[in-house]
Amino acid sequence: MRIAKFGLLLALIVGLAFLGCAQQEQPKATPTPTPAATPEEKIPDKILIGGTLSLTGKYSKEGQMSLWGIQAAIKWVNDVHGGVNVGGKKVKLEFKYYDDESKKEAVQSLVERLITSDNAMFLLAPYSSGLTLAGAPIADKHKVLYMSHGGASDRIFEQGYAYVVQTLSPASEYMAPFLDMVKAVDPSAKKVAMVYEDSEFSKAVFAGARKHAEELGFEIVLEKTYPKNPTDLTPLLSEVKAASPDIIIGGGHFADGQLLASQMADLKLDAKAISILVAPALPKFYEALGTKAEGICAPGQWEVGVTYGPEAAKKSGIDYFGPSQDEFLNLFHEFAGKDTMPSYHAAEAAAAILAYAKAIEEANSLDTDKIRNTMNDLRFMTFFGEWKIDPATGKQIGHKMVIFQWQGGEKKIIWPPSAANAEPYYPIPTWDEKAAGKLAKK
Amino acid sequence: MPFFEQLAGNLVYGAILGSVYGLSTMGLSLIFGVLRIVNVGHGPFIMLGAFTAFWMFTLFGIAPVISISVALVLGLALGFVVFFAVIKRLINAPELSTLLATFAIGIFLEEVAKFIWGPDHRGYSWDIGSIDLSITLIPYSKILAFISSIVIAYLLYMWFQKTKLGAAVRAVVEDSEGAAACGINVGRIYALSFAIGIGLTVASGVLVTLFVPVGINPYMGHEYTLKAFVIAVLGGLASPWGAFYAGFIFGLIENGSYTLLGTIPGVEPFSLTRFVAFSLLLVILLIKPTGLLGGESK
Amino acid sequence: MSFFDKYASLIPVLLIYVVLFAIGILVPGMWQPVAFIMFYITLGQAFNIFLGLTGYVDFGYVAFLALGAYGMAIAVESLGGANLGFGIILIGLVLAIVMASILSLAVGAVALRLRGAYFAIATIGVNEGFRYFVEGARIWGGSEGIIISGAMRNIFGRETANFISTFVSDILVFIIAILAAIVTVLIMNRKMGYALMAVREDEDAAKVMGINVTKYKVMAFIASASFAGLIGASAWTLKMTYVFPSDVFLITYTVEAIVIVMLGGAGTLMGPVVGGLIYGILKYYLSITLPGFQLIILAPLLVVIVIAFPEGVVGALKRKARGNARKYLR
Repeated sequence: MRIAKFGLLLALIVGLAFLGCAQQEQPKATPTPTPAATPEEKIPDKILIGGTLSLTGKYSKEGQMSLWGIQAAIKWVNDVHGGVNVGGKKVKLEFKYYDDESKKEAVQSLVERLITSDNAMFLLAPYSSGLTLAGAPIADKHKVLYMSHGGASDRIFEQGYAYVVQTLSPASEYMAPFLDMVKAVDPSAKKVAMVYEDSEFSKAVFAGARKHAEELGFEIVLEKTYPKNPTDLTPLLSEVKAASPDIIIGGGHFADGQLLASQMADLKLDAKAISILVAPALPKFYEALGTKAEGICAPGQWEVGVTYGPEAAKKSGIDYFGPSQDEFLNLFHEFAGKDTMPSYHAAEAAAAILAYAKAIEEANSLDTDKIRNTMNDLRFMTFFGEWKIDPATGKQIGHKMVIFQWQGGEKKIIWPPSAANAEPYYPIPTWDEKAAGKLAKK
Repeated sequence: MPFFEQLAGNLVYGAILGSVYGLSTMGLSLIFGVLRIVNVGHGPFIMLGAFTAFWMFTLFGIAPVISISVALVLGLALGFVVFFAVIKRLINAPELSTLLATFAIGIFLEEVAKFIWGPDHRGYSWDIGSIDLSITLIPYSKILAFISSIVIAYLLYMWFQKTKLGAAVRAVVEDSEGAAACGINVGRIYALSFAIGIGLTVASGVLVTLFVPVGINPYMGHEYTLKAFVIAVLGGLASPWGAFYAGFIFGLIENGSYTLLGTIPGVEPFSLTRFVAFSLLLVILLIKPTGLLGGESK
Repeated sequence: MSFFDKYASLIPVLLIYVVLFAIGILVPGMWQPVAFIMFYITLGQAFNIFLGLTGYVDFGYVAFLALGAYGMAIAVESLGGANLGFGIILIGLVLAIVMASILSLAVGAVALRLRGAYFAIATIGVNEGFRYFVEGARIWGGSEGIIISGAMRNIFGRETANFISTFVSDILVFIIAILAAIVTVLIMNRKMGYALMAVREDEDAAKVMGINVTKYKVMAFIASASFAGLIGASAWTLKMTYVFPSDVFLITYTVEAIVIVMLGGAGTLMGPVVGGLIYGILKYYLSITLPGFQLIILAPLLVVIVIAFPEGVVGALKRKARGNARKYLR
């Protein structure tokens, strides 16, 4: 029977294709949530943290940075700290990752693979709010902790996921400290213009900004959005110019943020202070714009030069955990190469790893529920800043955004004062002054 | 009247942007006109041009206006390579094959670019001052983009009209079988037209950076591909000249409609301009598939 | 042809589905990878009904998936308090079909008059235009989209909500795949199938022969779009629990669907299944073994396939197959 053979052959090929890679499967040792089991809890020889990273596709830049940050943090925990202290043992961390191509389909199957076939005990969520949401049901189903280091949207934490916790500040907080800064430096500045990308993330950021601005008594004279990947923002910016605002906040991602700054310069659209989302965080921003970038501010989860360290922790009366900033930089360079400086994407991913290590040590257990409960009361500091979650939702409330400003070709942290390494330069030089070579440096 | 002042300013920018759009679409239309192939991987070639301008400026300090010729030569060479490696084998294949193949080529270029240059968004500052038109300010670099694109389009036009080879290309566009019967080596014309089309596209990438000197990255082409489709259809799809004029119209519509849509409350006017653009595409395709500026219906 | 002969070609297809299902259920950890591959197979199956049978390239096909996704999201979001239990999912699926088929009817009525590249570009226009309409006019949450994870937990409770996202939605995809295969065979066996074959060969000649070309084209279009709507509703909304416009109107998905259909063989029943298997498995294991290099490998491979196997794997096999085997390969 030709047909029967053919069918059988086909079925065999399909079957083999799968089985070939499923050999290493073992039944997963699910941590039992019964507290009585703890004293006899068997501590394994290594702790596997799994995660999907966006190494290709639209988040590949952020994905690469995260990977280096994670590798640096793991190295610190294993080599400097000697491993995670749990159950009287020093246990090494290991990190296993796959590339999710910045696409939602891949996330779920890869997360499932990490949990069931690689036996990852803890997960790092993918980059971006969408992908974080995509993987959440899988993590929740398997009751595995799922730490967000790149999913900023507040809405993730309104969905009732018990095992999703956040290490970075949520989107609604991004622009708040910038407005605080302006308010403190120049109480007379009143008029704010907001020009931002029509996307989920930016809308969340600027909804938060609008609310905060109104609370502080600013007047929003103009609020406009633009779609993704714009080629010309001049129609929008000429409106902004007509509204003559005191300060301008806006942006969304990399390309549009650069375009925004570049075309503000074209139109000589001056303001006393400008803050742009995301784009100015990367050194390439200054390389691309040159002195035009002077004085431009941006919010960051973290920045090289922040003053978080053991002393700051002592002052706040909390524990410090993890490498100092210099240690982190050295470790980071080992993986990323000497010339690459970490962006905040690297730091927040590293902090997520450190938070896991710290929480495991505090709980003195590898049981997911115990650790999650411990996290509710956990408050400590890493080089990334404070870590404290809202017990009910898992949203980050301890960590604070920083504002930095390009001053004389360097990113200087100007706010909050407790983390700052420079004074705010205010008002910033006009575009004409910048073209003549003036820097935003005293 | 600030409203009309803004509208006028936007239209000036729209016209400059439109000239860049126009030139960047000519290659697409030329290739379709001669080979009947829609190059779905159009945008990544623009990206290569943008990187050419960037590296020439950053490494050697060469003004982007001069890089146009470098990009043109690189594009021509690349066009020949792609033609003989892939396109030649697909001349008579169904649409599906060519659409897929050109798309794959586009992805390949993007990934290679990412592999070599990384995913960073780059940019350069070529400041040569700006002119004040009282309604708006325009950097000279953008004006140079405007002039260059008109000059290139004109040179191409002259080449088509005045040279023997150009006439042969026109003959193939009209009727490839007839042209073959007249002793024209159609295969050679295909290769040449494809190469010129890619050359123009890569060169237009340099102009794109004159207009927007920032945000240069491996994946920047996608947006231009979609716009190029709209513009090409506006211009009649098979006509490079139609595409050039249509580029202007598109630039004006894009920037002009923003100001008008801004008067509607409760919407995001800028996103709606794109809705307007794509609706326009559909309307034109349905009413007059040969394009607004196209001649007789085929 | 006997009844058996007419439907024999379904056997190998269903067999593959059974094997896939068994692997997913029996091998621990393989359910999600199987679901990942099934998504691509089903996408190919659905798209093949239009692309394969008519030869028209709808580049904006993903718009139907997007509308289906929105249909489900709207149902769950707005009827969450109505105490309907699983009825909500049913309503969502119906809404998905309705929305997708309305759009397909509108597009079909106007754009199907165009041919070749013009049709392809027009459909890109529909997809992009729709996306910017949703964002620009701020309908259905605008660019912020709709997140339904919370609503689903309120309606079904934590366990069931997870179960829906990680299992039920995948089962739905299996069912859609089976239905799409059956519909494909039904069409192929009827007058409609022969009419469409004539259209694919030479549309003008078909017209002259008195075939109501437009009717059949629109019918295939609507069938294909409805399946796309169902896929969007289950594999996206129910599974991912959110809909963002920038994510669902992504032309990449159309291209993936084209690749799958083409890889397997356009217009054959078995083609999209084989194409989906190859594509899905390749993609999954490349992302595991060579993270970051999938596309740089996949792209040249595609070019080679387009040149070397223009009829796809199944198309090439079909040409070689003789006698009895032929009826299992369609």
